[in-house]
Amino acid sequence: MLQSSWLIPLFPLLSFILLLILRKSKSESTAWIGVLLTGISLVLSVGVWLAVWQGDFIKVEGTWFQIGERAITMGYEVNPLNALMLVIVSLVSFLVHLYSKGYMHGDERFPVFFAYLGLFSFAMLGLVLSPNLLQLYMFWELVGLGSFLLIGFYYFKPEAKAAAKKAFVMTRIGDVGLFIGMVLLFWQVGSFEYDEIFASVKNGDISSGMLTLTALCIFVGAIGKSGQLPLHTWLPDAMEGPTPVSALIHAATMVAAGVYLVAAMYPLFQASETALTVVAVVGGVTAIFAASIGLMQKDIKRVLAYSTVSQLGYMMLALGASGYVAGIFHLTTHAFFKALLFLAAGSVIHAVHTQNIEEMGGLWKKLRVTGPLFLIGALAISGVPLLSGFFSKDEILASTYADGKYGLFWLAVVAAFMTAFYMFRLFFLVFTGKPRGDQSGVHESPGVMTLPMIVLGVLAVVAGYLNTTWFGTFLSDYLARGPVELPHAEHHGPGWIPIVATAASLLGIALAYLIYRRGALSRDWMTRSLPGLSDVIYNKWYVDEGYDATFVKGTKGLSKLGILFDKYVVDGLVAAVVSGVQGLSKIGSRLQNGQVQSYGTFAIFGIVILLLIVALTGGYFS
Amino acid sequence: MDLDTLFSFEWGVMSPEFIILGTATLLSIIDLFMKRESSRKPLAWLAGAGVLASLVAIFMQLDQDVTSILYDTYRLDSFSKAFKILLLLGTLLVLVLASNYKKEDVEENRGEFYYLLLAALLGAMVMASSADLITLFVGLELLSLSSYIMAGLERKNKRSNESAFKYVVSGGIATAITLFGMSYIFGLTGETNLFRIAENMGNVELLKHSFLIVFAFIITFAGLTFKIAAAPLHMWAPDVYEGAPVPVTAFLSVVSKTAGFVILLRVIIITFIAAPGIGSEPLLLQVQPYVMILAAATMIIGNVTALRQRNIKRMFAYSSIAQAGYILVPFVSNSSLLFELIWFYLLAYLFMNIGAFTVIQLLTSQEGSNDIGVFRGLFKRSPWLAVPMTFFVLSLAGIPVTAGFIGKFGIFMGALGLEPAHYWLAAVMMATTLVSYVYYFNIIAIMFFRDGDSEGKRVSVPGSMAAVLAFCAASVLILGIMPDLALDFFYGNFDVNEFFMQIETEVHTHDH
Repeated sequence: MLQSSWLIPLFPLLSFILLLILRKSKSESTAWIGVLLTGISLVLSVGVWLAVWQGDFIKVEGTWFQIGERAITMGYEVNPLNALMLVIVSLVSFLVHLYSKGYMHGDERFPVFFAYLGLFSFAMLGLVLSPNLLQLYMFWELVGLGSFLLIGFYYFKPEAKAAAKKAFVMTRIGDVGLFIGMVLLFWQVGSFEYDEIFASVKNGDISSGMLTLTALCIFVGAIGKSGQLPLHTWLPDAMEGPTPVSALIHAATMVAAGVYLVAAMYPLFQASETALTVVAVVGGVTAIFAASIGLMQKDIKRVLAYSTVSQLGYMMLALGASGYVAGIFHLTTHAFFKALLFLAAGSVIHAVHTQNIEEMGGLWKKLRVTGPLFLIGALAISGVPLLSGFFSKDEILASTYADGKYGLFWLAVVAAFMTAFYMFRLFFLVFTGKPRGDQSGVHESPGVMTLPMIVLGVLAVVAGYLNTTWFGTFLSDYLARGPVELPHAEHHGPGWIPIVATAASLLGIALAYLIYRRGALSRDWMTRSLPGLSDVIYNKWYVDEGYDATFVKGTKGLSKLGILFDKYVVDGLVAAVVSGVQGLSKIGSRLQNGQVQSYGTFAIFGIVILLLIVALTGGYFS
Repeated sequence: MDLDTLFSFEWGVMSPEFIILGTATLLSIIDLFMKRESSRKPLAWLAGAGVLASLVAIFMQLDQDVTSILYDTYRLDSFSKAFKILLLLGTLLVLVLASNYKKEDVEENRGEFYYLLLAALLGAMVMASSADLITLFVGLELLSLSSYIMAGLERKNKRSNESAFKYVVSGGIATAITLFGMSYIFGLTGETNLFRIAENMGNVELLKHSFLIVFAFIITFAGLTFKIAAAPLHMWAPDVYEGAPVPVTAFLSVVSKTAGFVILLRVIIITFIAAPGIGSEPLLLQVQPYVMILAAATMIIGNVTALRQRNIKRMFAYSSIAQAGYILVPFVSNSSLLFELIWFYLLAYLFMNIGAFTVIQLLTSQEGSNDIGVFRGLFKRSPWLAVPMTFFVLSLAGIPVTAGFIGKFGIFMGALGLEPAHYWLAAVMMATTLVSYVYYFNIIAIMFFRDGDSEGKRVSVPGSMAAVLAFCAASVLILGIMPDLALDFFYGNFDVNEFFMQIETEVHTHDH
């Protein structure tokens, strides 16, 4: 089984090639090519995963090319971490293929969309199978290219075009960091191989300053891909792409690649306390920052996008706080419930043809399948007990606490509260209350769309039992067989942590209920049927207003602060760099004035300056 | 020198040059006897056959040891063979472009382009094969003079005239600077042969003139960077590239640039390898900061100014300036991999740039415009042009799975891998590469994400152009996936040590 694991990425590649050839086809059954081929990948991935579960690993490689004495290798590797990723990626990819069959119905470039999906899946699976940094980097770029094509799929929309370009260039900034870190490691270790890098780290061949530098450079790559502060701004814009793309790329797989990178290079990070702290702080701050912005968004997909940024921050926080298993665990559960939420959001958009939540409302009765599934996703991400998000979030909080990062711990608790609040704000505004827009043609999505959601819905519930203190720590036992030495595999934090986490999440839900559900209902219901209890009503209103004055104003203020920070500091920095480059460009073009005599002057002037520097620094005049 | 000595030389080693010289002569005679109105296309095929024959001749020389004739003014070593292959291959592809180049309101039946091109090629080949300042200079001028005329070949086109004029004037300035630098070298050492210059440079007597040696280095170096269009002698490139016919632009940006690197390597590395710097350091170490400034300035100016260009030929001029900046990086680090890094990058550059110019020629001549808008909606109109163009642009930008990535990757590793590592230079290279993504990806975005007004207007691609496109695109991809194909060829056939090998011919026994 393991010997054939290199075939896994090739099936989506085949799908890409076949569909590109058939791109002129008007038949929508071309989608089955993609579904079938990614299905084969999924079956193989599960097989590989089961083999790894039983303790088999594999690493195959050969020389790719040689520069001077240095041999650069290429191959594939399967270990517990990437086998798990293989299953997640191929599963979500398969489900998204299936879902898109319904969602993209009637699109003019139907086969092209599936071709791009195939290209992306190929790159993502190849990235995961890579046994060395260079190969990872190549697929990393290819993944970026796939994302670029898919975000810009609706290229007739100028926003989509701009978003595609922004995503590509912003993530490239991170890639530069990754590239530099990778080359520096190569010159320290003499190899791109993970194993050899880890061996050198273990033997102490690399100076501690260099360790921190390389780890941070690689982390910059992860920041770009995973939309962490301050390179996060591309991710909400990327929502211009079709919704299945958002589910596959900008929720479950590509953005998780940054987290995967940190996890795959974990021994390097473990060797540098500074690097780990940076990872934790960036993750923690991103978690609360993005969550606060999510509180005020009106576009259903943008809420989910900020939520993704925030959840990825959680994963980084976990990794930075030595919670290796917690980070991977949350990556897994998040992949399921966030893909579910996006697909459900897509189903809603499919039904009402708008993304503005203020124009929705009362959809619960009309979308009998989507509604409950969205609720499951919202409960899972909010960390309501017994659903998957509860266990993984709890584990993150526990590791953060156990690591002694108390400030970040409380930040994460507040972020959990906000998460519950904005998710249920979304839920109540979309599914309950009265319709606020024209909903005459609203109907439930077809089976190809609901089936993938049901599968994800089941997983969003049960995936949490992979690693619990009650049923067994399967996931951490499984990951412990990998190349990473788990820091402190068992940390049952103090017993009050799950209680605090649950309280935070229930509080968020309750507040959302009071404001968006109760607030909307109370106007006619209370005055009409219960006029005698006006003082109680008054009191309830008082409570609401009390909430309004404290929590809501507070969170709104925080959210505004976050938006302002985003607008003026982050965007300002970006704008400064951009205008700097543009200014230079203007100067460059102005010097090029078409006068050949000034070209000559410039040349002579340049040489004279160099000679002057030589004379001055060389001490010719002294 | 008597006749016996003259005949005693192994003239066979010059066969690639003789073939080109013979073909050029033959072409000029045939052209003379051809009717005014008959098409000159057969001349292109003949020229192509000549170049191909010369290429075959070089492949037959691959096993030959280092040979030198005419007192080292001509030498056949691995270096010259490796780079002559690039020059010939580039010219061959440019010939295909030229034979398909048609522009309205220009008299079509002009044969001189082909033998001028061959003459320029001959100059470039002499530059690759010489180890004497005088022959090197003659080669350089042969290339330059032929290029000046080629740039102005469209006599009725004002832009083309302007281009040729600017090229001549700028070239004259560069030649003057180069000669000025060379005169220092000669004055200091009393020799024109590169190896004997190197010997004399090591002389202790020269230590007191170490300032002059550094001056000589900087002036010569700057003068020689004219052909590669590096700062501060880069400003001719956009104007000349814009005005010249597309095949000439392709020739200037690829073959002429390769020749520029060849002469830089020959003159700079051999001459100054043992030269003393100011103080105790060797010169080549001491001048690193200056070469670094030039390389960094070239990368910055090229990439940053390219951002504002709407004219596709000007954009590619700045792009080629930037590419020259990248290739200068190994010069700074003086890495042991210097030769293979530059060779590989130039090979990759040859395919990606000529490929891109093939598409540019097809589009600009059909649309009659040089605006970047000619790419609009290309993917819809002619996917078989858009897809290879995407490969070329990705390769120029240095994205993985293309030859350009491997080339850039090697250069980057070379810059960081040596003690002391050149962090700043590597950082400039990465930052400017990042800037370059913006304008390269703009082309891709225009091809894929924008609809053209010329909806449905397919671009007609002649068979030979399609062959060039396919060949270049395949090479860019194959070298990106299996770079070993080229690198093994390099290591298997070429030995860089030959570059430094002085051959003991009769030179020392002879008096001259």
